[in-house]
Amino acid sequence: MEEKNTKAKGKLLSWLDERYDISGLIEFAKKKSVPKFRETIWYYFGGVALLLFVVQVISGILLLMYYKGTEDLAYESVKFISTKVSFGWLIRSVHSWSANLMVLAVFIHMFSVYFLKGFRKPRELTWYTGFGLLAISMAFGFSGYLLPWNELAFFATKVGTDIVGQVPLIGEPLLKLLRGGTDVTGATLSRFFGFHVAIFPGIFIILLTLHLLMIQRQGIAEPDDYKNLPPAEKKTIPFFPNFAMRELLIWLIVINILAILAVFFPWELGTKADPFSSAPVGIKPEWYFLFMFQVFKFLPGEILFLPGELVGVLLFGIGVLLWAIVPVWDKKTAKGNKNRLLTYVGIFVIIFIIVFTILGFILD
Amino acid sequence: MKIKLINISVSALLVILLSFSLTKAQAADQCIKCHLDLDDNHAKLFKTDVHFSKGISCAGCHGGDATSDDMDIAMSKEKGFIGVPSRVNRYEVCVNCHVDENKMKRYGSNIPTDQYENLKISIHFQPTFNNEGPIADCVTCHSVHDIKDVKDPASKVYPTKIVELCGSCHSSAEFMKQYNPGLPIDQVSKYRTSVHGHLNSKGDPNAAECASCHGSHEIFAVKDSRSLVYATNIPSVCSKCHSDAKLMAKYKIPTNQYANYVKSVHGVALLEKGDLSSPSCNDCHGNHGAVPPGVESISKVCGTCHVLNMELFEESPHKKAFDEHNYPECESCHGNHLVEPATDAMVGTQKPAVCVNCHSNEKNTKGFIVAGKMKTLIDSLKTEDSETKSILNEASQKGMDVSDATFSLKDVRQVLIQSRTTIHAFDLDKFKAQIDDGFNIVSKAKLSGEEAIDDYYYRRIGLGFSTVIVTLLVIGLYFKLRKLEKKS
Amino acid sequence: MANNHSANSEQSNKTKRRDFLNILLGGGFVAWLAALFFPVFKYLEPPAVDEVKVTSVKIGPVDSMEKDSGKIIKFGNKPVIVIRKKNGDYVAFSAECTHLDCIVQFRKDYNQIYCACHNGRYDLNGRVASGPPPAPLKKYGVAIQNDEVTIFEEVA
Repeated sequence: MEEKNTKAKGKLLSWLDERYDISGLIEFAKKKSVPKFRETIWYYFGGVALLLFVVQVISGILLLMYYKGTEDLAYESVKFISTKVSFGWLIRSVHSWSANLMVLAVFIHMFSVYFLKGFRKPRELTWYTGFGLLAISMAFGFSGYLLPWNELAFFATKVGTDIVGQVPLIGEPLLKLLRGGTDVTGATLSRFFGFHVAIFPGIFIILLTLHLLMIQRQGIAEPDDYKNLPPAEKKTIPFFPNFAMRELLIWLIVINILAILAVFFPWELGTKADPFSSAPVGIKPEWYFLFMFQVFKFLPGEILFLPGELVGVLLFGIGVLLWAIVPVWDKKTAKGNKNRLLTYVGIFVIIFIIVFTILGFILD
Repeated sequence: MKIKLINISVSALLVILLSFSLTKAQAADQCIKCHLDLDDNHAKLFKTDVHFSKGISCAGCHGGDATSDDMDIAMSKEKGFIGVPSRVNRYEVCVNCHVDENKMKRYGSNIPTDQYENLKISIHFQPTFNNEGPIADCVTCHSVHDIKDVKDPASKVYPTKIVELCGSCHSSAEFMKQYNPGLPIDQVSKYRTSVHGHLNSKGDPNAAECASCHGSHEIFAVKDSRSLVYATNIPSVCSKCHSDAKLMAKYKIPTNQYANYVKSVHGVALLEKGDLSSPSCNDCHGNHGAVPPGVESISKVCGTCHVLNMELFEESPHKKAFDEHNYPECESCHGNHLVEPATDAMVGTQKPAVCVNCHSNEKNTKGFIVAGKMKTLIDSLKTEDSETKSILNEASQKGMDVSDATFSLKDVRQVLIQSRTTIHAFDLDKFKAQIDDGFNIVSKAKLSGEEAIDDYYYRRIGLGFSTVIVTLLVIGLYFKLRKLEKKS
Repeated sequence: MANNHSANSEQSNKTKRRDFLNILLGGGFVAWLAALFFPVFKYLEPPAVDEVKVTSVKIGPVDSMEKDSGKIIKFGNKPVIVIRKKNGDYVAFSAECTHLDCIVQFRKDYNQIYCACHNGRYDLNGRVASGPPPAPLKKYGVAIQNDEVTIFEEVA
């Protein structure tokens, strides 16, 4: 049986090799390996994020078959998908849940890379493209959230774009650009739809391709703990077939989890958005924006002589920027030294996000 | 002798005083003295006028100086003489005094002073077609120079005379077509056929006549909501007399109609809900030709609105049966003034069903069976409907969408309403055909609901199935991996 | 010889287990793919029903209209007359007269809806009170929620 398999594989590969000379690729694939140590578990999260992105693309394309992106039809079309289309409920709930899980996976992946210092030279660009991918993922989430045109989404978008408007200088024009006008209207919906299904996927694919190519070219990052081991003790897992099978196992479980979530925790639709009604009490954004939202709520109206929101936007902007350019200010680890500051900053950021997210949920 | 002398002197004194006062009076109204001498008809008439008896002279209306016997002074403009007031504004003469309470009191009268206020906004006060003042002013109805107190049988507006008065315009096609060619002109002739009209002809001033219902000064078009005979005002207008026990005792008419009517479906609809299509007294009894509908014609009267019920009834076996027994058709089951909302309890084989009044297991058995079957069908549709509603509710509680099926159930209400009308054919087959529609709708909705609930479980079963496959795969992969790693 | 036999049987056992595992994995994957593609293909099959559209128009807070007054609003591309009755209740009807489609108005002095074109009148239930209109005015639903008045189309 196994010989039959390898024979078949061999036939396919030689067919391709005759035409595209892929012997180099095959050699590369055979040699590709992943460090095997205590922290290997973190190495799966990038793949999970990739899987969830693929799930999003497929389920998103399926939703496109029935979704209508105008003010008077958006809500009705999502209702139609959820109730009248065969398995529409499944596709829709999977899409919504997978979006959330993807952002979570990307965050975990980012933090694991941070603490394992995978951003060091020569991998700075991989970090930057990765950060770009995080930003686009959250933008995906923000734009997609509006598409069902329900009450919650409408007001979340209103509040979210209001905060964008607080950015000094470019805030106002940026707000108009996002909203397609001064208020959140059907024009906003059209824009967000365009962003969500065309612009963001395009940028994402480019960044992702770069991100993955760079990893293949440079090999997987090895943290110092592992790198400094004597070669005899450096255990590895060959990528094909071992690590790939492990990933497959995890991916199967993740997909099944999505199905379970879709059946037992179906995504709600709520009521149709009405621009003239007042915002419902306790309006808040999705969890991955919640910590920012909560911080803004705590800011006083005025700090020194500046409006509170402006200070908030500036502080956040600076914080995010510093985080993004960590390869620049972290010189110590590039040289193989420990950087306590880096670790403390990382721990602080995680705790900060967790605390404010929890506060965002329990406070009203 | 002495007494006789006193008598004579007292009488003489009286005569002197009387003639003195007469002269005084005559001295007060030189106008009439002169005009009587001239054999003026108006002056002759005026002597019968109520104003004359109150001591008002010709100058009271025409102006001028009544104390002077010199025509030039008496009838001078300086003294306020206005001659014969023109048709256009002659009413102003009456208004001069009759809106003033003090003036009324001065002449010992306590008649109301709102006539002009009311007349001004009434339909009669619109200008004539050739702009010669209001269509009807004070003079038109009360006449002039021979005006009597309205309680005086000689008054033109006394109940026994007012009908002719109103009719003088309102029964004239020539006259009415100048204003409203569509307005009927048969009111008087219809009225004369009515009970009110008969009594009125016989001289009964208590029977309703034109002003009793339409008002006197404040008359509006019937469609005008301010009119006393506007649909919503009619019941209370009729009840003004017809709920008065003392008044009605003479005619031996009961006085509970209004009290019953306001509690009835029709009364509540008209008076509380403002539904103008609901009948008030005149819709069943007629207005001018008001007469209770006769026994045989009741279904026709009810049938003017309840057409379907009437048609079905008249084709039904009940029509002949009721007529033979002199039963008052619709009224037998539904009442006349106190028509209560018809409920499903009215059909069936047990009280309070009205069927049992004539039908039982021993007598008129066929009808008894039919009534029972109809009741069963209605009840079972209602039961099916509520069962289906609870299934749909269960489905929606489970998070499944059943809005279409829920919506379709609204038609069941329609079917029930139509079936209740079809009852009046008293024909089981017709009834079954009608109500079967409802059963169809309900069974379809029930199916939808059950399918939705099934789908709920189907999802969970599908998930379980997929999870089993995934679990098997995961286990298989795990073992395969273990093998692989063992090898290396 | 004996060794060979036992080695062979061990090998054949191993092969049997290996084959079983491979069959399990292969079959499992096929089943998994089927479980994945089945919903996707069913999803792509167009469903039997069409979408349902509902429209509604918010006209403002309850107190934005005075009692015993009326106004015309735009409901999509249709005119609708909204009346606040003397007792504070709201009613709404199509503002197109059923006679010849003139726009009706609320008349305070009649407490009725009036059409100036040919003197048609409707009561505050939309029913014809007098004049040429042959049919009542179509009724629109009124919902008051959180002090906001919404006019919606009553689905028959």
